[in-house]
Amino acid sequence: MSYSDKVIDHYENPRNVGSFGKDDKSVGTGLVGAPACGDVMKLQIKVSPEGIIEDAKFKTFGCGSAIASSSLVTEWVKGKTLDEAAQIKNTDIAQELALPPVKIHCSVLAEDAIKAAVADYKKKTEPGDAAAE
Amino acid sequence: MNASAAAASVVSCWSCKGPVAGRALFCSVCGAVQGPGAVDHFTRLGLAPGFDIDLGQLERQYFGFQRRLHPDRFAGKSPREKALSQQQATALNEAYETLKDPLKRAAYLLAHRGRPVDLTACGTINDPELLMEQMEKREAIAEAESLDDITRLSAEADAEVLACQCHISAAFNAGDLDAAGHLTLRLKYLAKLAEDARSRKARIARAR
Repeated sequence: MSYSDKVIDHYENPRNVGSFGKDDKSVGTGLVGAPACGDVMKLQIKVSPEGIIEDAKFKTFGCGSAIASSSLVTEWVKGKTLDEAAQIKNTDIAQELALPPVKIHCSVLAEDAIKAAVADYKKKTEPGDAAAE
Repeated sequence: MNASAAAASVVSCWSCKGPVAGRALFCSVCGAVQGPGAVDHFTRLGLAPGFDIDLGQLERQYFGFQRRLHPDRFAGKSPREKALSQQQATALNEAYETLKDPLKRAAYLLAHRGRPVDLTACGTINDPELLMEQMEKREAIAEAESLDDITRLSAEADAEVLACQCHISAAFNAGDLDAAGHLTLRLKYLAKLAEDARSRKARIARAR
């Protein structure tokens, strides 16, 4: 199996690696794992008061495709609204990176990670739930 | 249970049509090699199904069977017998590879007991506690710089793999398949962690 140029590019020069403080109220964190590879992926978004994703960071321990998928998603979500970000599909990621069928689960992981991050942010900012954390 | 299940699967020898056990390598009547029967991996290797297996016995059975199937013994046989002996060898190989690895053995046993855990499919897991723990430990391994630190982390990871195997054994013995399934998933992550620690340790040791 050979990786596409785009996967290699994201793998060798991953964008937006790092972390935000997960207790920051403007940050949503998604933590997901794929048992197929024993991968763990953390994807975080920093959201403006207007509900626009200003910045995104990720940390992934996994194969090249998992790293590339999360790196690509952090690029894609910047400037998007929460709802737009939550609509990113694994098929779009897989297509952009030309992932082979055995690596599709890596794009599923990235889709689930951004969805989880959006859900986490929404949960944090729900009115009346300010006491949580 | 094992004996009756094995006895129940009696088929006809392709050569002499006599009765032959599903797991038998050779017909006891005419001596012809048999194709691999539809038996589980444990039965194929003559072991009682369960997570706790005698690895020494597994090795003895496997290599004993493989010796009897060695291609040299079939040099003068018919093409059909050559083909059947190869199919037997392949089936035994698959059974052996599955059973000797605790993770594969646990996953196989869960499927065998009707409670499969999916370790290969596309799904993602939602187990925040496990993922948080694994994320922290993978970070610690990635950030370890000294040989002392990585040696300690690697030993810890190996110890956790063994501890998890003990818990899996206890869960199977208690008939708690939910717990066994959960722990098998955990073992998959722990095995990955231990592998990660080993390769980081090798890298640090080389760089010294």
